[in-house]
Amino acid sequence: MLGELEGTVVFRELLALFPTSWLERISSHPSSEAAEKTVTMSGFKLTSGSGRFERDANVQSSASGEPIRHTQRPMVTGSSVIAMRCVDGVVIGADTLASYGSMARFRKISRLHKATDMCVVGAGGDLSDFQQLTTMVDKETNRDYCFNDGHGLSPKAIHQYVARVMYNRRNKMDPLWNYVVIAGMQNGDDGEEAKPVLGLVDLVGTHFESEVIATGFGEYLGLPLLRKAYREDITVAEGKKVVEQIMKVLFYRDARTIDRVQIATVTKDGVDMGEPFKLETEWSYKAFVDGARAGDMSTW
Amino acid sequence: MSVLRPNASVMGLPYTAPGNAPRGFTLGEHVDPEDPLEVGNSSNPHGKPRAIGPMGRRFQPYKNNGGTVVAVSGKDYSVIASDTRLGSGYSVPSRNVSRIIKLTDKCVLASSGMQSDIAVLHKVLRIRLTQYQYAHHQEMSLTAISQMLSTMLYYRRFQPYYTFNVLGGIDAEGHGWSYSYDAIGSHEKVRAVCSGTGQNLLQPILDNQVEFRQTAPEKKPEELSLEPCVELVKDAFTSAGERDIYTGDIVELAKVTAKGVEIEKFELRSD
Amino acid sequence: MASIGTGYDLSSTTFSPDGRVFQVEYAAKAVENSGTCVGLRCTDGVVLAVEKAVISKMLVQGTLRRSHIVARHATLTVCGLISDGRVIVDHARAEAEQYKDFYGRPIPGHVLADRIAHFVHVYTLHWHVRPFGCAVLLGVADVDGPQLYLIEPSGLSYRYYACAFGKAKAAARTELEKLKLNGSDGKALISCDEGVKELAKILVKVHDESKDKDTELEMITVTDGKDGGAKLVPRKVVEEAHAAAKAFLEADDMED
Repeated sequence: MLGELEGTVVFRELLALFPTSWLERISSHPSSEAAEKTVTMSGFKLTSGSGRFERDANVQSSASGEPIRHTQRPMVTGSSVIAMRCVDGVVIGADTLASYGSMARFRKISRLHKATDMCVVGAGGDLSDFQQLTTMVDKETNRDYCFNDGHGLSPKAIHQYVARVMYNRRNKMDPLWNYVVIAGMQNGDDGEEAKPVLGLVDLVGTHFESEVIATGFGEYLGLPLLRKAYREDITVAEGKKVVEQIMKVLFYRDARTIDRVQIATVTKDGVDMGEPFKLETEWSYKAFVDGARAGDMSTW
Repeated sequence: MSVLRPNASVMGLPYTAPGNAPRGFTLGEHVDPEDPLEVGNSSNPHGKPRAIGPMGRRFQPYKNNGGTVVAVSGKDYSVIASDTRLGSGYSVPSRNVSRIIKLTDKCVLASSGMQSDIAVLHKVLRIRLTQYQYAHHQEMSLTAISQMLSTMLYYRRFQPYYTFNVLGGIDAEGHGWSYSYDAIGSHEKVRAVCSGTGQNLLQPILDNQVEFRQTAPEKKPEELSLEPCVELVKDAFTSAGERDIYTGDIVELAKVTAKGVEIEKFELRSD
Repeated sequence: MASIGTGYDLSSTTFSPDGRVFQVEYAAKAVENSGTCVGLRCTDGVVLAVEKAVISKMLVQGTLRRSHIVARHATLTVCGLISDGRVIVDHARAEAEQYKDFYGRPIPGHVLADRIAHFVHVYTLHWHVRPFGCAVLLGVADVDGPQLYLIEPSGLSYRYYACAFGKAKAAARTELEKLKLNGSDGKALISCDEGVKELAKILVKVHDESKDKDTELEMITVTDGKDGGAKLVPRKVVEEAHAAAKAFLEADDMED
C-alpha cells in the first residue's frame, strides 16, 4: 500500500499528521513495503523501527518544503523548423501544429515569435517551454525599450542569451525542451550594411550559426534538401519557395507535421511574420497511389 | 567511443532492449542501465516500463558532438588541430563549428566532446586569462594554463564538463609541448596526443611517427620539424575523415612558434 | 511655529491635533520647487513635458532625464526630487512587467496608477522611511484610450484631461484651461503633434525669466495605434517647438 501512495502529496500530508507511534506500527508491519530498512518517498526518508520521518538530505527541496519536480519530458510538442540564410535576409518556416503524443492537439498555433524589429525566434519541441522562453526574451527586449538609450538586443545577442538560458537549465536538470532557431538581421559596426544571421540552440545548450538549419524530423528530411538548394547568392524570394517545398515534403512524410505553415522573413526592411497558409498538395503521384509497386523496391 | 548498438532506432527514440541484453551507446545518448525510469530496464521496480510522457523520452544532459583534436609538439613549435564537424546522433547539424581557441600568442587549446560544454569552458578560460593579464601585466605561461585548465575541470568533478582537451604551445624556454586531459582534469605532458572520436584511429599513428614507438630497432629517432609535422597531422585527419563518421568537413590547424600563432584551414570529405 | 501643530512635524507616523501629517505636506513643498511639469491627454495619446534648468554652460544636453518609459504603453515624468522619481519609475516598471507576466496583457492605466499610488502611500506610514519628494505624471495609451494620471507624494492619484505641477503650476493650469481640450462628447480635440507645440508655449509663457536664466525642455509621448508606443520626442522637434513658442510669445508681447 505504501508503494502505491509513495511520493503522493496526500501520503506525505497523512504522514505528517500521524502520531509517531502510528508510524512505528506502519513501518514494522511485516506485509508492508515499509518493512524494508529505509523507504524514501520523493524527498522524505522513513527509517524502520525509529518511526522517524525526515527530509532526505540528498534530495533538493523548494522553500515550501515540496520536493522540486522538474520537467523531464516534452508534452505538447511542435515538430520541424526550417530556415535558410540568404544574401538579402533570412527565411524561417514552421507548420502550425502542436501535437500531444500522436494526437494533433492544437492545429493553429504559431511556433514563430517576433522578438525584435530585426529578429524572429522559432522553435520545435515543448510548446509551453517555448512560450516561457519567448516571455523571457520579451522581458529582456522590454527592459531595453524602457532604458530608452538607443541600444537593443541584436539577433546574435538573442542567440547567445537563449544559449545561456538553455545551458543553465540543462545544468539544473530542468531543461526547456526545445530546439530554438534564431533568425535576424545584424547591424554592422560603423554603419556597415546589416547582415543576415541564422543560429540554433538545443535543449542542452548546443549552439551554432549556420547558413541552413532544420530541426526535428526536418533534420533528417529537410537538412539535405536545404543544403542542396543553398547557394551563396540565393535570395529571400527563392529561399521562401525552398522552405515551402521542404515543408511540403515534411507534410508528406512526417506524421507530426500538418499542411498549414507559417513562413517569416527578416530583411533590411524588418520582420515579415507571414500569414499561415495551407500547402497545396498533390496526392496523385504514382508512389502515393501504388506504393511499393511504383518502383519503390524497398522491403519496408 | 563510437560503438553502435544493434537495431538502433532511426529517430533516436529509446530502443527497448529485452531483459539484460548488453547495450552499447550511440553518440548523443547515454542510457543508464541502473535508471528505473528508463524504458525496458529490468530494474524497474514496477516490473513494467513506466510511462514517461507522450514523446516517451527522458532528459539526458550529456551528449557527444564528436570530432577529433590533435596536438603535436616539437623542439620549438606546437601544432594543434581540430575538425569542425558538429555531430549529433547520426546527423551532422553543422559542418563549421570551431572547437579550437587561441588562448595566448604561445598557447592554443582544442576540445572535443559536448559543444555546449566546450563553449562554456572556452568562455570561462577567456575570462580567467584576461583577469590574469590585468593582475599580472603579462600573458599566462603555457605551464600555468595547463595547471589552471586541470583545476577548472576538476572543480566540476561531480558534474563534469564533457570535454576532451588537448593543449599545445611553447613554454618559457621556447620548447614545444602538448598536454592531454581527460574530462575531469587528469593530465599528462607529452609530445603528441589525440582526443575525441578519432582517438583510437590516430593515437597509434602519432605514437609511431612522432615518438618512434613500435619501430624497428635499426630506425633512428630523429627530430620532427614543423613542416613534416604539419603534413603528418593533415594526413592523420584525412585518414580519420575516411574511417570516423564523426570527423570531417573542415580542419582548423594552428601552428604555434616563437613568431606567434598561425591558423590555416583545409577541407576533409564532407560525406 | 505658532501653529497648534508645533512639534508634530517630525514624523509621518504622528498626526497633529488638528489632523494633519506635516511630513507629507512638506514633501508636497519639495514638489512645488521643481521645474514645471505639464501633461496633456490628446486624441491619439498623451504628451508630457518638463522644463529643466540649465545650471551650467558645461552641462551636456539631455542629461538628467526627468521623463521615463515605464512600458511600451506607459510614460512617466518626475516633478520634484529626480532621484526619488527614479525609485518610483523602477517600481512602476516592475509592476508593469509583473502584470504582463501574470495576465498576459499590458497593465491598464488605472491599475498602474493605483499601484504606484499605493507604493508611494506606504512611504507615508512608517517612521523609518520618508515620503517621496516628488509627484509623477503618468501617461498611458492602451485599449481604453489615452489616459493621464497624477500621483502625489501623499499617495493620492487623480486622472486628468490636462494638468500641471511644480513651480509655476497655477499659471500653467490657467493656460491649460484656456485650451479647447474636449468636444461636447468629451473626446479630446488636440493631437499629440499639436500638443507638443501647445505645451511648449505654456512652459515658455509661465517661465520666470528673473529666476532661471536658461532652460531646456524635455518631452515624451505615448501614442496608440500600429506605430504607437512610448517615445521621447526627438530633440530636434522639441527645440523647434521651443523656438516657435518663444517667437510666438515675443510677437504677442509686441502687440500688447
